[in-house]
Amino acid sequence: MFEDPLLLARLQFALTAATHYMFVALTLGLAPYVLTTQLVAALRGDRSRTTAVRFWGGLYLVNYGMGVLSGLVMELQLALNWSGLHEVFGYTFAAPLALETMTAFFVESTFLGLWIFGWDRMGRWAHLACFAVVTATAYASAWWVLVSNGFLRNPVGFEMVDGTAHLTDPAALMTNPAAVTAFGHIVTGALLVGALVIAATSAYHLIRRDDEHRVFRRGIRYAALVMCVMPMPVAGFGGVQFGLFGQDPPTSGLTRTAAEIEAVEAANPGGPLLNTANTTGEVVMVLAWSLMLLVGPAMLLAWPFGGLDRWRWFLAPLLAAPVLPYAASIAGWVFRETNRQPWVVVHHLTTAEAVTPMSPGTAAASFGFFTAAFAVLAAVTYWLLVRYARRGPGGGPLAEHRTERPDDPGEPGGPREPATPVHTF
Amino acid sequence: MDSLSSVLLALLVVGHLVLAGADVGLGMLMPHVARGTEQRRRVVAAIAPYFLASEVWLVAAVGVLAGMFPVLEHHAVTELWPVLAALLAGWLVRDAGLWLRARVDGDRWRLACDGAIVAGSWTLAAAWGLTVAGLLTDGLTASPFTVLCAVTVMALFALRGAAFGSERLVGSADSGGAEPECADVVARDTRVLARAALCAAVPAGASAALPGGPVLAAVPVAVVLTTVLLVALAATSGLAGPMLSRHTSAAAIAVPGLLVALAAHLPSAPIPSTVTVLVWAVLVPVVPVMFVGQVWLYRMTRRPAAVPTFFA
Repeated sequence: MFEDPLLLARLQFALTAATHYMFVALTLGLAPYVLTTQLVAALRGDRSRTTAVRFWGGLYLVNYGMGVLSGLVMELQLALNWSGLHEVFGYTFAAPLALETMTAFFVESTFLGLWIFGWDRMGRWAHLACFAVVTATAYASAWWVLVSNGFLRNPVGFEMVDGTAHLTDPAALMTNPAAVTAFGHIVTGALLVGALVIAATSAYHLIRRDDEHRVFRRGIRYAALVMCVMPMPVAGFGGVQFGLFGQDPPTSGLTRTAAEIEAVEAANPGGPLLNTANTTGEVVMVLAWSLMLLVGPAMLLAWPFGGLDRWRWFLAPLLAAPVLPYAASIAGWVFRETNRQPWVVVHHLTTAEAVTPMSPGTAAASFGFFTAAFAVLAAVTYWLLVRYARRGPGGGPLAEHRTERPDDPGEPGGPREPATPVHTF
Repeated sequence: MDSLSSVLLALLVVGHLVLAGADVGLGMLMPHVARGTEQRRRVVAAIAPYFLASEVWLVAAVGVLAGMFPVLEHHAVTELWPVLAALLAGWLVRDAGLWLRARVDGDRWRLACDGAIVAGSWTLAAAWGLTVAGLLTDGLTASPFTVLCAVTVMALFALRGAAFGSERLVGSADSGGAEPECADVVARDTRVLARAALCAAVPAGASAALPGGPVLAAVPVAVVLTTVLLVALAATSGLAGPMLSRHTSAAAIAVPGLLVALAAHLPSAPIPSTVTVLVWAVLVPVVPVMFVGQVWLYRMTRRPAAVPTFFA
């Protein structure tokens, strides 16, 4: 299989996208919770909530780092390995990505930098505003990426000029049902990921009766509410998309005639690997969602009896609960993306036509390096996330440096005064 | 509108070179500048606030390239695939080092992350050098020009990093009497690096006439830009030293980007007007936010943090 650059490029992209999405899902799921907590902390001047923001914010940053790393690789890999796609559909498929990089990621990364370095350097409202921008742009980013991805599934709003797709209807591109429903599905699904990560972390500390700042009591209650409300919209937005899968896109016929389309589909029946991946994706997604459906009501039942804080037997299974939304998310993407084969842009461009002509050697080298690097980085990031989650608010990467510490210059982390005049750049 | 979009792409690339040049260059110089755990922490702490805000320029440039200049993108990818893959690999390794460095309190861990930052910075600079050479020569050629151009660009990155470090690293309260202070080391380096860049840039300019040299669309522009580069480097390599290097290094590292944008022979196609309208209509309202974020971050982090932060 390592002789086939197309298969390698596809596998590499699938792995990159899956890894990227695991971190994106938690970013999207945690951001609203961190923002709300910080808003309440700013309104009330509440120290215990500030501790919570520092704790969940620390997890957010560790997770975000890997999200950025995988996102960079994903974007550049898209350009490097799939130049055929850009050649034909650059103006339609990649235009939303251009807007994503500038109006969403550019702003998000800069304001996240402001948020990280702004603790103790700016007022609490300015600091809150920075995270509000980070949250808004994180969602804007997901929106633009899904507009792009939705176009592949359901290409709309373009005409062919000399073999290149030219955008004719930006409104159709942005209100593409394949993008809008996917966005709803992703957002609600990401909130489930966030809620169950918060639930698992909170359960871990509540089992140990270790909650001096009340961070985890609030966390598990938030999780209970989200788990009651969100599973149904997830299924709703997901179910609508099943209807799209059977339909021909409105632009069908612009590049290939119906007979040619049939011929391409007949010549590429998919193969056992693809079909197994597709079916497994669907089964895992539905199964994990069904299990998640039970979590919310169970938590709601335990709530009035104080079970959310006290019942160890009830909290213990929650430690494993994040597996469910992660499995459902990855399986959902596998299902969606394998469903499109052999097309990269449905009825217009096949994956074989889209891939950059590469020698098997370079394809294998690039696949080997990025796969290995991702395996290491994702493993390290998850290890760090679990470690920080277990340490609790005292040991997070954003934990407050206590100023009452004795002024010992030899101690790393001790207060350090810039002695000489500081030159600026 | 097409020319405005070209200006946007050039602005993003040049902005990336000028801003990221500072933190990439300092990453390259780290083994030479920083001795000991605390000095290395200070160098990473100098880099960290900025890489978040400077790498986004390149991400945006790639986005604009893909969405508005697919022909040019196709040209770059087909001609420079291995170089761009190396650039991506270097970028990944460097960022991984920066994000993960402060996560584990152990000397080996920090050493590994510092190694990743240094190796990634060198790879990035080298890949940029080859990219510039490849775009100027219309496809990567095995020629003296390619080598000299790449070396010049790497020297420009290092010079930019030294200029940045000579201001950002001042004020170390704990470097201890006998040990040379990091800021002094890089301040002296600016002159050496400017001379090194000059020594590479002059023969690079001369080798342009040899076979395998650049294929230019606008020779006078290239001559003017090269003169600007040589003047900027000459100013820094003389007596003025680090005092002016903040500006001269910025001007110098902007030249390779401007050369590619203004003088290289690049394929282009008219951008469909709907795409232009869509991109600009969405982009323009966000520009003030982008601008405010960048300026605010650069102003807020002018002074090094008194306590260790998230990154170092």
